[in-house]
Amino acid sequence: MFRIVRKESLNPTVSLMEIEAPLIARKAEPGQFIIFRAKEDSERIPLTIADFDREKGTVTIIYQIVGGSTMELDTLQEGDSLHDFVGPLGCPSETEGLKKVAVVGGGVGCAIAYPIAKKLSALGCEVHSVVGFRNKELVILEDAFRAVSKEVRLMTDDGSYGTKGLVTNALEQLIQEGNQYDEVIAIGPLIMMKFVCQLTKKYNIKTIVSMNPIMIDGTGMCGGCRLTVGGETRFACVDGPDFDGHLVDFDEAMHRGTMYRDFEAHVREASCNLLKQEEQ
Amino acid sequence: MPNERNMDPKKCPMPVQEPEVRRRNFDEVALGYTYEMAVNEARRCMNCKNKPCTTACPVSIDIPAFIERVVHEDMEGAYQIISQSSSLPAVCGRVCPQERQCESKCIRGIKGESVGIGRLERFVADYHREHCTEKPQVPSPNGHKVAIIGAGPSGLTAAGDLAKAGYQVTVYEALHLAGGVLVYGIPEFRLPKIIVQKEIDNLKAIGVDIETNMVIGKVLTIDELFEMGFEAIYIGSGAGLPRFMNIPGESLKGVYSANEYLTRINLMKAYKPGSKTPIKHSKKVAVVGGGNVAMDAARSAMRMGAEEVYIVYRRGMEELPARKEEVEHAKEEGIIFKTLTNPVEVLGNEAGEVCGMRCIEMELGEPDASGRRSPVVKEGSEFTLDVDTMIMAIGTSPNPLIRKTTPGLETNKKGCIVTDGENGLTSREGVYAGGDAVTGAATVILAMGAGKAAAKAIDEYIQKKA
Repeated sequence: MFRIVRKESLNPTVSLMEIEAPLIARKAEPGQFIIFRAKEDSERIPLTIADFDREKGTVTIIYQIVGGSTMELDTLQEGDSLHDFVGPLGCPSETEGLKKVAVVGGGVGCAIAYPIAKKLSALGCEVHSVVGFRNKELVILEDAFRAVSKEVRLMTDDGSYGTKGLVTNALEQLIQEGNQYDEVIAIGPLIMMKFVCQLTKKYNIKTIVSMNPIMIDGTGMCGGCRLTVGGETRFACVDGPDFDGHLVDFDEAMHRGTMYRDFEAHVREASCNLLKQEEQ
Repeated sequence: MPNERNMDPKKCPMPVQEPEVRRRNFDEVALGYTYEMAVNEARRCMNCKNKPCTTACPVSIDIPAFIERVVHEDMEGAYQIISQSSSLPAVCGRVCPQERQCESKCIRGIKGESVGIGRLERFVADYHREHCTEKPQVPSPNGHKVAIIGAGPSGLTAAGDLAKAGYQVTVYEALHLAGGVLVYGIPEFRLPKIIVQKEIDNLKAIGVDIETNMVIGKVLTIDELFEMGFEAIYIGSGAGLPRFMNIPGESLKGVYSANEYLTRINLMKAYKPGSKTPIKHSKKVAVVGGGNVAMDAARSAMRMGAEEVYIVYRRGMEELPARKEEVEHAKEEGIIFKTLTNPVEVLGNEAGEVCGMRCIEMELGEPDASGRRSPVVKEGSEFTLDVDTMIMAIGTSPNPLIRKTTPGLETNKKGCIVTDGENGLTSREGVYAGGDAVTGAATVILAMGAGKAAAKAIDEYIQKKA
């Protein structure tokens, strides 16, 4: 069993859990992910590792409540345990030889972008972080990004905090200011990553994206996480989750991501009703 | 009269759920022999001296001997004989391709039907499970530690044999549940999960430690396992990586690998009402492939409520690699066989969902390397099959996670681990491998045979070293 040693709410829909998993903590690297099942009959859900502490033997995950499974996860409290927690899966993000990198995070994707920014900074790389959120209420990890970045651009869709606009606006501005990046690392909603890639292609900057498709086992067995990269079928779980963003077929990935939308909506509603009943 | 042989040229038929009923439920199809049926069928065995059936069994069960015990109504004695050779008799009695193994060599098969060896094996195992109250004996430990990677049929067999010899055995399983293909692949209606669970409980009872959620190659490497004090390692990690055809449209919504489709239904229980696992409730399904996995996927789709289910296979009915019984059951359940047919493209609608499949007809040409006549395209025969779901069951490749992280472990072009002959020794000292990880996708019983041979080799290796 995997005990929750710390649970923290980061914003109204995003929470953090630090989980006891010493073997995984020993091996985890930024960019890798875990699969959890909150309870015995839960779905298997992949989440990218947000942080890890090798000495304490803990792995941190940050999740947004989007469906039945994350809702169920959120019912667990400090001291409770997750039924299953397996990892570290996937390939670590490549950080070697990078001198100057723009890290772009969108929404809860910032949780995954942060450990990479942190590692790059520790390796002596100059990190510029561009982070975007819908509004002020949803901002997460601002201080964490500031601590590891030479430059931070915080964007909100409605201008309620930071600068009003999209992450692509801020990234383009940084590029136009004369910053020459070895690489851009973009992690967030598919639509955001797609537009970041369109922008960086124009400036011919190598761009790495982290894909988070639907999957079951996370070890290459189900093939559900397949995507088309440079015309070839690749599995996000064993070949990724990081890929060259200029080669990813984002439109196909967006279609595939909606495979179970109706089912999820139904489960979400059922879970909400159940919670309401419990509260009454 | 035990000595009186039953000269009926036909096997006692297996009681089954009626096709019209079973095609919509996940309960076991074959109901098993009654006590009387089993004894009566056992009396058809001639108890040959040279035991051709045993020579055709991948784990060399002494078949005439166990059947003779059934004739004498000594069911526990029969069970003891089977379990000397097989760790999972209740499983093998259900999923072995007997018609190509033991039963193919039965002399009763020359002038009639062979003895129903598989059905008798199943009866004996089930009878034991239902009647035996004795706890299995825990062997006295010999002080040596062995690690097994993968809790599928191969790994569990090796684990059982080594534990019985006194080894402290730890099995590492990547999924949250032990059983491998027996729990994620083979459906409930062909192999009830409670039977698999019982076999696993038996292994635990004799001291086998099973660690789930452990992806070896990621959380621990082979070299780290040696550092932890394991003296030998058996890799039975299977051939889990699904193959696709690389035709246009394979990434559309509604195209599944058989692995994904069956895992959602079996391991993740999508067939149970109220399950939290999403799955497409398809109306018209095409399953591509002709093996047991294809039959399992097609029959599962029917049980999930599909109106029409097709098996699309590029060779003919005669060439279908699936067990004969599965093909017959599938036909009875209304699965439509489109043989000599190959898909060329999956068609999608604006929402990115499957809305059809372009196929081409094939004809059989000259025999190829496998000895089977190879299918060739019939020009101008393209047509569209109206389906909303396509399931790819055209085979799997070995999982790459271990070979990527184990220096010095030799693999071939296909990614299969290279072993030295039958004992399963790899290019690394103390590391043995078997099952689909070595052969590519094959059968449960062959994987078990490999696990058995490797357990013996590991025992000899450690005893020689000690």
